Amino acid sequence: MSRILIVEDERHLADGLRFNLEADEYDVAVVESGEAALSQITADSAVPDLVILDVMLPGMDGFAVASELRRTGFFVPILMLTARGRAEDVLKGFEAGADDYLPKPFELSILMARIRGLLRRKQWLLRSTGTSPTAPAADVFDFAGKTIDFTRLELRVGDKQLPLTLMEASLLRYLVQHEGTPVSRKTILENVWGLHEDTDTRAIDNFIVRLRKYIESEPSRPQHLQTVRGVGYRFVAEPSAAAGSSPTA
Amino acid sequence: MTPGGRRRYVALIIVLGICLAAGAIALNIGWVIVNWREAGLLVVGILVFPLIIAGVVLNTIFLVREIRRNEQHDAFINAVTHELKTPVASIRLYLQTLQTRALDDGKRQEFYKVMVDDSDRLLHTIEQVLRAGQGGTRLRHRQFAPVDLSVLVSDCLNIARTRHHLPDAALTYRERFTTDTPPRILGDEDDLRAAVSNLLDNAIKYSGPEVQVSVELEHTDTSQATLRVHDKGAGISQPELKRIFKRFYRARDIVTTRVKGTGLGLFIVRSVIARHGGKVFAESAGPGHGSTFTVELPASPPS
Repeated sequence: MSRILIVEDERHLADGLRFNLEADEYDVAVVESGEAALSQITADSAVPDLVILDVMLPGMDGFAVASELRRTGFFVPILMLTARGRAEDVLKGFEAGADDYLPKPFELSILMARIRGLLRRKQWLLRSTGTSPTAPAADVFDFAGKTIDFTRLELRVGDKQLPLTLMEASLLRYLVQHEGTPVSRKTILENVWGLHEDTDTRAIDNFIVRLRKYIESEPSRPQHLQTVRGVGYRFVAEPSAAAGSSPTA
Repeated sequence: MTPGGRRRYVALIIVLGICLAAGAIALNIGWVIVNWREAGLLVVGILVFPLIIAGVVLNTIFLVREIRRNEQHDAFINAVTHELKTPVASIRLYLQTLQTRALDDGKRQEFYKVMVDDSDRLLHTIEQVLRAGQGGTRLRHRQFAPVDLSVLVSDCLNIARTRHHLPDAALTYRERFTTDTPPRILGDEDDLRAAVSNLLDNAIKYSGPEVQVSVELEHTDTSQATLRVHDKGAGISQPELKRIFKRFYRARDIVTTRVKGTGLGLFIVRSVIARHGGKVFAESAGPGHGSTFTVELPASPPS
């Protein structure tokens, strides 16, 4: 049974969410402030499997909670819920470390689907056994002296270890699986985030910028995570082989 | 812009203003020293330079004020967005729950009640925004009719008790009449009701978990009725006693930022009371010591 922590100070919303999640047999806890959420997650030995995080909380807001969690090394999937649905708010949410973002008012069915999606993706990452023979990213993927460990959600460069969030790892895995071929932002959104609406595709750019910081020696001149103008992105494991070749559109 | 960025921007403007003013003062002194023999130029300098300095100072003050106002406006839009969308989100969540799940009758009734509460909250926000929008622009004397304040205030108290789920002891009411007639005033009943409710809501909202609000209606002078709302809550610091009545203004210390609001409530109180020829003011012994809001309204002579 997956444990879900709801961080929401509006009692009616929190109660309604709790009712629906419990009806779907999740183990639900509710806290009313960002501070309480942090102490619950960091102190509790059992970290929740998913956090539903409201942005406008009294005191510490949702953005601050998300970035604090990421900063202190807690990579539990975060679904942000907020009344602020403008593009810059969505981007700010992703930048703070959210894995998914849903503006209020939301469709109950979509919310439940997103929750299932996030939990499913976590399961995939946790027990990926490489059933697909062609998948180069069964558990770990090595390239150019770096290792991505999809099981432990981390990136190893030399003897340095960088923790990855669930969505960072999912995005990397998707790009690695399509190594060498350009993938569009839209396909990424559909396949990695499971979004089909007209979501702002720039959210992905933020993730790419972050991933480049991790894996590129010169993030401003990316070798592995290349931008394919007019299309999207392409992952190249051995840049020397592809160097000089013109982008294939 | 982030709050930090904005603060830096304001600091930059202030520094620039001070530098320009200092430069103008230095030039002025130089001018006086260079031209002290020539009476004509000296007079021109003494007249023109102070004007330039005053201009620079005024410009700086104006800019800083404008930025502050902008900031408050942003905060207001955020708060209203939140206050409008939250109840809608809640109502939709419960409606969709009712649509998709089989529920027993008790649960169903509970959900209906939640939705009614949320629609009340939505209506309240809409009314506040509309009332604040018409404040001051329209004199509606034509709709003025005699209002019995005693009845109106007790009504508002009952509504506040129900809305905030308070026991009678948390919100007490006392009347002190030494005149023969009850306190009747000429006014707009809806507006007055909104003003009194806003004062009660504020007293309760800023009380924290222990609500202890006392309301007193005094009519010891035939020409005036006085309403006092006293709470033992967060209190107000001296410089904020007047500012809290401004539109969009919200007090900024740690306690009060935990309370949600649009910054319209007291603005509405002030404009309604002013339209009725009365005045309203706040008193407080400082943060943490509670506060008292006093409304003085001219009573209509007994007919």
